[in-house]
Amino acid sequence: MRFVGILLVVLLTAGAVAMPPLAQIEPGASPGRQEPPVAVCAIEEGSGRTTGLSVLSTIDGPLSLTVFAGGETAGSIGHRTGTNGAVTIPVVDVAAVGTVAGLVEMPIASSAAGVFVSGAETTSAEACASLPDATTFLTGATTASGDTFELHLMNPYAGSALVELTVQSEAGLESNERFDSVLVPPRSSRILDFTDLIPGREQISVLVETVDGRVMTVGRQGASGDSAVWRATSPAQEWLLPIPAGSGQRNLVIATPNNAEVEYQIDFYGPDGLEEGLLTGVLAPRGQAVVDVTSLTARETAVRVVATGPLVATMWQESEEGLSVTTASQVAANRWFLPNAARPEDGTATLVILNTAIDSGAVVVRPLREGAQELRLTVDPDTVTELALADGTGYLVESVGETVVLWTAKRPQSSSAAMGIPIFDG
Amino acid sequence: MASRMTDVSTPTAAESIPKADETPAPTIAILLDLVAGADLQAALAVLSRQVYEPSPKVIIVGPTDNIELDLHDADGVAATMEEAMAEHGSGVDYFWILHSDARPRPDALRALVSEVERNNAALGGSKLLVAGSHDELESVGSATDVFGEPYSGLDRGEIDLQQYDVVREVAFVRSASMLVRRDLAQGLKGLDPLLPPVAAGLDFSQRTRLAGGRVVSVPSSEVYHQGRCEKGQGWREQAGRLRAMLTAYSLLTLLWMVPYEIVVGLLDSIGSLLLGRWRPAARHLVSWAWNLIHLPSTVGQRLRFRNVRSARDEELFRFQAKGSLRLRELGSELSGRVLSVFDDDQALARGTRRLWASPGIWGAAVAGAITLFAVRTIVFSGVPDAGFSFIFEAPNVALDRWLAGWNQSGLGSPATVHPSVGVTGLISWLLLGAEGAARTLMTLAFGFVAIIGMGRLAGLLGLRGPGRYLAGLVLIAGPGVSVLTSRGSWLALAAASLLPWVVRSVLEQGVARRSWASKAGWAVVLALPLAAFSPLALGVPLVAAITWVGLGGRRISAVGLLATLPAVVVALPFLLGDPGWLTDETRRLGLSVELIWPVVVGLAALPIVFFDGLVRRVALLGVVMALGAPILVALPYGGPGVEEALLIAASLGAALVVAAALDRISVSPGCLLASIAGTVIVVLSVAVIADGRLGLRDGDINDRLAFATTLAGPEGPGRILLASTDRADIPGEARPGPGFWYRVVDGASVTSDQAWLPEPLPGDRALDQALSDISTGAELRPGDLLAPFAIDWVLLEGPRFRLDDVLLAQIDLVPTPLDPSSRVYENPGGAALATDGVDNGWHRQGAGFVGEAGSGRVALAINHSSGWQPEAGAIEWWTSVSAADGEALFAGESVNRALAFAALVLLITGFGLVVVGRRA
Repeated sequence: MRFVGILLVVLLTAGAVAMPPLAQIEPGASPGRQEPPVAVCAIEEGSGRTTGLSVLSTIDGPLSLTVFAGGETAGSIGHRTGTNGAVTIPVVDVAAVGTVAGLVEMPIASSAAGVFVSGAETTSAEACASLPDATTFLTGATTASGDTFELHLMNPYAGSALVELTVQSEAGLESNERFDSVLVPPRSSRILDFTDLIPGREQISVLVETVDGRVMTVGRQGASGDSAVWRATSPAQEWLLPIPAGSGQRNLVIATPNNAEVEYQIDFYGPDGLEEGLLTGVLAPRGQAVVDVTSLTARETAVRVVATGPLVATMWQESEEGLSVTTASQVAANRWFLPNAARPEDGTATLVILNTAIDSGAVVVRPLREGAQELRLTVDPDTVTELALADGTGYLVESVGETVVLWTAKRPQSSSAAMGIPIFDG
Repeated sequence: MASRMTDVSTPTAAESIPKADETPAPTIAILLDLVAGADLQAALAVLSRQVYEPSPKVIIVGPTDNIELDLHDADGVAATMEEAMAEHGSGVDYFWILHSDARPRPDALRALVSEVERNNAALGGSKLLVAGSHDELESVGSATDVFGEPYSGLDRGEIDLQQYDVVREVAFVRSASMLVRRDLAQGLKGLDPLLPPVAAGLDFSQRTRLAGGRVVSVPSSEVYHQGRCEKGQGWREQAGRLRAMLTAYSLLTLLWMVPYEIVVGLLDSIGSLLLGRWRPAARHLVSWAWNLIHLPSTVGQRLRFRNVRSARDEELFRFQAKGSLRLRELGSELSGRVLSVFDDDQALARGTRRLWASPGIWGAAVAGAITLFAVRTIVFSGVPDAGFSFIFEAPNVALDRWLAGWNQSGLGSPATVHPSVGVTGLISWLLLGAEGAARTLMTLAFGFVAIIGMGRLAGLLGLRGPGRYLAGLVLIAGPGVSVLTSRGSWLALAAASLLPWVVRSVLEQGVARRSWASKAGWAVVLALPLAAFSPLALGVPLVAAITWVGLGGRRISAVGLLATLPAVVVALPFLLGDPGWLTDETRRLGLSVELIWPVVVGLAALPIVFFDGLVRRVALLGVVMALGAPILVALPYGGPGVEEALLIAASLGAALVVAAALDRISVSPGCLLASIAGTVIVVLSVAVIADGRLGLRDGDINDRLAFATTLAGPEGPGRILLASTDRADIPGEARPGPGFWYRVVDGASVTSDQAWLPEPLPGDRALDQALSDISTGAELRPGDLLAPFAIDWVLLEGPRFRLDDVLLAQIDLVPTPLDPSSRVYENPGGAALATDGVDNGWHRQGAGFVGEAGSGRVALAINHSSGWQPEAGAIEWWTSVSAADGEALFAGESVNRALAFAALVLLITGFGLVVVGRRA
């Protein structure tokens, strides 16, 4: 019995010690992440300005626009994109509540929305933002020489958002408590008027870091009686920017949010194709550089910015016809939506196409309106082409090779520019 | 007095003094130890009257500077005892060490010499009587405990009626009058000069015994003792006793004796403070301090004694009482104080004195005290509401549910609730509906029921030591139960506390004084609640009985065994309604026994295998359960019910091993190893329950979720969805979701019936799909998707995960900072639990719904079941009923109701058998 006992104790002890515990039961795997087909738009109503919202889609499906203000739904409207896949909604028909945010629920991921703000002497256009990144960056603003600049933080969601702003100008890192822990209540906008906060700054860059919630940010620049709106985007190391022909000042503004030096190279798409390394330089920590494109050529052109660190490239175009600002594109694509792209009643509109492919590419420009004829053209590799736009709701540009597309509108004393929205799904 | 000298029980000179032609009488030297304040001349005069030939020499020992000596009656002076001893050679056979405050009767020396010689002893001590009294006994030799605490066995003021006049071996004799062999005394270097008189006698006696000599008490040698030597020696005596032990014991003994002494000192100090005495605590402190100061000298004593030592410590243990005399006295005094309230004649108090002499009682007292400590938070703050431990529903609702009523857990189910709901409902009902008090009282009782049950079980198996009650602590906080309670399993605690009682009812064949009816009755009455708290734990007694028989144990109680089996009827409705609880391993909590437990259990059990049959058998029974259960629990078979029962069995097994390991305390290596490992198991267990909640997980989920009720509309709160990547964050059972665990609970309160989730029904599957859709991030309005489930609130617990990200970018769940420890979202669009579409105030009441009667139908956001009345219908997965009656009630399957009633009948039958059995 003693021997059996010893054996029992030893074997059971060894068994209990050596026996691996049952594998922990885990919950099921997380499904793949999908972006909801929504877009957040910066809306201006009042003070002589009104906003037209254009929604383009590859299908005929339902959509809705909800305008949020002061924590409430100020107005909402439902539509369909129609057989052309495009619809324009005058926001004034939904809610005329000033500078606010609008949430567009689109029928499918292969959809795009953009706003076109027009006043008596102002015009601005910009694509609406999809789900924003936690950190975005905006550059090219100024409050010098009587120019005005506002930062428009939009939170259409159910929870409050908290952001930290890091503002850099030629004076250095701006220290203002209004930039710290900026609360954006749910279903609300928050507008920071930099003209009052930091007047007289020529080169302003803003890093928007979201601590809690989600916030879409646009900059709204006023200069020469005109205004321009452009989105804050996540910084990247490569940017592509078609630049329309034109008189006046055309600047490429590049800036980095990094607190470290960033080397950059600017390649130029000239008449003879791509000229690499036209300009090189080093951005100081959180620094900004302005490249005068006008001095290179007055024709339509394009630049590619390649850097060793994250930065954002923005085009600033100012002439007698007004001001337009837009952020460059991080990608080239085969399909582009151009919401609102159309000739204004009292002006002109131009499509600028950069062919980044190595071959000549057939490009189809499709106006999304009833009875419109599509245009077919060929763009040589590494070259830029301009095309005049007609009336309509927006355009779809398709190509065999990859392109980058931008459109501009010009009215007497005002102008606008907006990058197209690449379509990858659907 | 003269008559005493001729008493037949007193050896006479004629009997003891050798005749002239025989061996000459031993030569004696009297070492008269000077005592301050004692009359030396009187002492010398008394010595001169001693009837002994050859006349002994008298040496005065001690500082004589301040004394006027008339050395007419003395033969010499020595400064120290050692010096006095060293002066004598082989011409002296014995030294009679005598205090100068002692007055020996004339025949005292003769009697001493005679008995010491006759008993072949090395050291003999006189009977000490209090000088100036009517023969009041002071000492007839003493026993001690392991710490040297003397135990004379005399009552205070006890008169000498020759009741102790038997020569016997004792642990020690007092140094006031002792006769010691000269050669031994010289080898031992006399009395330790640093020690006070009693401690000196103890020290000298112990060293004598360890040197191979016998120590006897010689009652026929009577000495009147003035006691001057002991005045003002309180802490010195205690310190001296400690030094005596430190000098005498082997290092191995000191290894456990010293910590044991410290613990006893602490308990004594605390107990004495409770009795309003501060001195014992101070004495302990001073005594240790004194010994630390004199440690070098003590080490020197040990080294000197090393050469003389010839016996092991066991020789001392033979004359020592078990346990601590100090604690025994303290326990007796404490209980005496309590009992004195209604025990005027102290009869009970005298009874308790005998009671405290049992080591088992001390084990019970310590275990009880620890349990009191372990339930302190529950006493002051109530039972935690976390993990799997929730408040009870009102008794009528709980009994409704148990009697085949609607199971509201999750999105609801016709499957019967856990059987514990019935028992807790019944007990709450018996306590006049005070379900909160019932829960607290039951929880408090579990600890004590477990300790007593374990003590009774181990006692039945033949164990008598302190370990059998201490094992109760291991039962409720040992390897398996501690894992379960850490997850908040209140039911595991309940089942563990009942388990030894049921096992006992199966193994108690040997208890002949109980009738079969009583045995069967008790078995039924105990097994029913066990099966209700942990249905599969009902199999443990059966396994224990088979193992016991297999190990050669005596026959088991067939009546008891057979009577426990029908108790399964109480759990059948639940098991039939939710078989996955038995079989689905994916529903397990993933609990396992920590590695330290099998190691210490193995270490405790291994030496016991070498013990005699009884203790070994108990230990092996424990080993099979304590080590076999963790092996089985690591196998991927069986659901959470199996996991629970195995873990409870593991604790019972460990408790049995501890009971066996601490059954006897001795210094034999095997016993010592078993005791140490057993103590480690107890300490590990106590650490688990030291939180004051019996190891139950802390928290109050109902307090945290109270906002749901506070902010609810007139239709009452709906449901709350809880989600986390850590399963333990979810109260009760959780379901696996897409990358996280989740469940819904009732917004009104999380009650004990919701601990387990019934098998998924269509509504549950729809909720699973909705959560999958939401977690992709593609849903801008997740609140819309959750609304049909009457989910008013979403709580995300633990580290941030996918749902946190996707809920940042949505527009209909409102983040609300109501709970600092989790992320709370309100769903303003959540559907009502019951609605007739025209807002006629339908709401939940008890286990059903009520509202205004009407001609329409009422939609209930619960899984569809045709058991709902009146006129049950389905709207997708919802249930709809006619609003005609103004109430909606659920009637479960009749077989479930019949089984529930059968359990009640069985319980009543059990009680009936107990009553009948007693009368028989």
